[in-house]
Amino acid sequence: MRDKREIKPVNSFNQKIDYILAAPALLWLTIFFLVPYFIVLIYGFLTPDIFDIKFEFSLDAYRLIVDGTYFRPFYVSFRMALLTTVLCILLGYPVAYFIARAKEKLRNTLLVFIIIPFWTNLIIRIFSWRIFLSYNGVLNDFLISLGLISQPLEIMRTDWAVILVMVYVYLPYMILPLYSVLEKLDFTLLHAAMDLGANEVKAFFKITLPLSMGGIFAGVLLVFIPALGAYLIPQLVGDQRSLYVGQVITYKIKNIPRNWPMASALSFTLLILVAVCLLAGYYLYQNRQKTKRFG
Amino acid sequence: MEEIRIQNISKDFDGFLAVDGVDLTIRSGELFSFLGPSGCGKTTLLRMIAGFETPQRGNIFIGDEDITDLPPYKRPVNTIFQNYSLFPHMTVWDNVAFGLKIRKVPLPEIQSRVSEMLQLVKMEDQSAKYPAQMSGGQKQRVAIARALINKPKVLLLDEPLAALDLKLRQHMLIELMNIHDAVGITFIYVTHDQGEAMSISDRVAVMDKGKVVQAGPPDDIYERPASIFSAYFIGETNLITGQVIGIEDEYIQLRCNMGDGEFFEIDSTFHFRPEVGQQLTVSLRPEKIAISRNKPRIQDDINVLKGSIEDILYLGSHTQYIVTVGKLKFRVFSQHKRVYFDDTALDWDEEVWLFWHDTDSWLIDEMPDEAAYASESMVHPPRFGKREQSRNIAEEQ
Amino acid sequence: MKLPRLSSFFKGMNLTVFTFVMIFLYIPILILIIFSFNDARIITSWKGFTFKYYAQLWENAAIKEAFWNTMLIAILSTVISTLLGLITALGLENKRLKGRRGFMGLLYAPLVIPDILMGVSLALLFNFLRVNTGMVTVLIAHITFCVSYAVIVIQSRLEDFDYSLIEAAMDLGAKPRTTFFKVKLPLIMPGVIAAALLSFTLSIDDFIITFFTSGRGFDTLPIYVEGTIRRGTITTINSLSTLMIGFTLFLVVFTKRIRKSLISFF
Repeated sequence: MRDKREIKPVNSFNQKIDYILAAPALLWLTIFFLVPYFIVLIYGFLTPDIFDIKFEFSLDAYRLIVDGTYFRPFYVSFRMALLTTVLCILLGYPVAYFIARAKEKLRNTLLVFIIIPFWTNLIIRIFSWRIFLSYNGVLNDFLISLGLISQPLEIMRTDWAVILVMVYVYLPYMILPLYSVLEKLDFTLLHAAMDLGANEVKAFFKITLPLSMGGIFAGVLLVFIPALGAYLIPQLVGDQRSLYVGQVITYKIKNIPRNWPMASALSFTLLILVAVCLLAGYYLYQNRQKTKRFG
Repeated sequence: MEEIRIQNISKDFDGFLAVDGVDLTIRSGELFSFLGPSGCGKTTLLRMIAGFETPQRGNIFIGDEDITDLPPYKRPVNTIFQNYSLFPHMTVWDNVAFGLKIRKVPLPEIQSRVSEMLQLVKMEDQSAKYPAQMSGGQKQRVAIARALINKPKVLLLDEPLAALDLKLRQHMLIELMNIHDAVGITFIYVTHDQGEAMSISDRVAVMDKGKVVQAGPPDDIYERPASIFSAYFIGETNLITGQVIGIEDEYIQLRCNMGDGEFFEIDSTFHFRPEVGQQLTVSLRPEKIAISRNKPRIQDDINVLKGSIEDILYLGSHTQYIVTVGKLKFRVFSQHKRVYFDDTALDWDEEVWLFWHDTDSWLIDEMPDEAAYASESMVHPPRFGKREQSRNIAEEQ
Repeated sequence: MKLPRLSSFFKGMNLTVFTFVMIFLYIPILILIIFSFNDARIITSWKGFTFKYYAQLWENAAIKEAFWNTMLIAILSTVISTLLGLITALGLENKRLKGRRGFMGLLYAPLVIPDILMGVSLALLFNFLRVNTGMVTVLIAHITFCVSYAVIVIQSRLEDFDYSLIEAAMDLGAKPRTTFFKVKLPLIMPGVIAAALLSFTLSIDDFIITFFTSGRGFDTLPIYVEGTIRRGTITTINSLSTLMIGFTLFLVVFTKRIRKSLISFF
């Protein structure tokens, strides 16, 4: 007989080794993801220089944020992100539903059709819309040749063009999470609901929609937040008179005279805005889960 | 070929004592079963023999070698896992060859031994298949081949048939016995299914709450249960409690309460010497009791009781009667041959006579957990769950 | 069991929207492909069939350089971030690791913050450190945004891993090292490959972060294309785009794993 000994199951984890394994990537993200935001925070309180930055304290950048000078780009971006998200839900939900209810063999093929554009280079997709929408582009040629319009439509370089291309680019981000939820959904529940007297519309709003809320939340997260920071699409197809936050930040960084404190202040504000949206979404979702449990 | 000695093994999982001071010796070449309900510690004990868990106390020997602290890959032991655990990225052939490849056995030898093994488990024409392409029974065979090819001293089987359907289970059980005969090594078989354990094993260890309650050949455990748990867990039984009122030669007389103030007496042989006045339990298997509408002619009416039929369950090979005697309920099995008395079937509420031979009852020097059972013990023997007990108590009140 | 049937109204609506979305998704791409064979200086109207822009593409040194830059960055960042992702995922497999929630938060954060912020913050970091921007800074940036995806994809594969296989391997005589290389690694390999493919595609697709972290003289293809569109000299872009679409099609259609990983990612 022996004394009590340490237990060490064969399949157990070794904390020390696990820390060593996890360390490199976490260290990497700390240095190149976390620390840079501190620099963004600090740079916001410095003085601009034409080509660089002066290490002198200044509140100018944040003063301009607080007094509302830069309210408009935030508003424009927010409005666009919101519209894009709503349109993505309205278009994405029926598509995801359609694929989820398709025959099992067909589903993967249909998904591939959704994914191909998604994996095509972003710039190329934007570029192809320019060909399609421009003043003497394919769409206008087509509409004129049909006799529907006599003068080409001004679609390019409008806010609507931005929303159109945004929806185009971000729609798969809405469809895929929705699909993965709807695919797992037990459709016999619908049967049960209808059996109990609910009509189809009622069954949809009482059963399908609440049960697919998780997918909608994920989709909103994947569409709304990137849309807030959009730069390339407004830059390439948008109205140059209405500037989006992403464009303003980029100009302040890239164009001369540079104003890095301003860019930093704007970036940090955007970061806060994103964080608030995330927290609000998370709170809403949690709350909903709770009412679902007890209600 | 060496025996396995398990000495005072204990295993604690964060305060839960899964195995509690188990001592066992498993003979070389034996087919030995650990039998018990889930959570009794049988799988943990097996995993300690395999080396997946380390006990806090005690030692395990194979022959003279202490393997308690050896990692699994250094033990002369192989395991058949409950879900087979075949490597999904390897073919049948590669799965079976895995152990030999690890030991760097030369290829020609691997080839001949793999085909030999696949022949043993009748899978020689499936060697190119992947686990995902096979049925449960086929996976089972591959798992056996993969373990046995390493020529272990002991083969551990963790509920190997649990995932198979009934017919296949019965078939595999016989095959396992044949394979055991063919290879001649020690098998340790873990199961919660008493039928499996009884039919396959040379010896069985009945486990409960981390302890071995009884170990012995299956018939021994069935006929001569050492505790109420063994009697109840293996097969079905009537547990009668009573007070010893007399001992005479090889018999004792027991006075039992019918629960309604009436008493009856039964006679039984004994295998330990109780004292007069002692309370004890008698286990009486349902198939040992005879049932008849005519009173049997037995001298002094020893072990003859009058009751009425409360319930009849037709079970194919036999019929189960629930017979009330006073407030007690007896469970009686009767096979369908009526050569003794008249031929008409017994009916509900009919008055019947129960009788049995005094060597067919078995004394257990233990009382059921709750006093509440004393009067209501027989047909619904003590369940070992709290809820059931409290319900019975509530009914009493 | 048969699923409850939708009424023709619902069904029709879903099919209509699906068809509309399909047209919506593919029209621009089809037009692009068609117009890459268009023999006209102004790209917006059709003037006849030609291969000449594909030939021009071949002769354009700047495009070739941008192409090789893109490949170099993509391959290096894929290899590094996949390896980092693999070992990190193995470390974080331990659910009882203290601080795991915080680590997971750090891993997920880059996925939910707009790309432009990562670009700006890295640009300022490199300015703060007085590092000359160029290949190295672009590579660092790409690893930074790929590594999270890599960890998460590999982690989802590890979550399905059946630990009794480890026991089975050890039971059959394999030491921990052998067990890892013969059983665990091969079984999580699809996840590793998916992570690599995802990293590769993210890397060649990225514009905005590269835009902020590359200096003058180090263009990747997206940067080059964007610059060309802005300057208006776009005749070769159609053909270049068509080739890139072809590449994507090849990846998506012929590698089942990308599809699976992508579908399972959401």
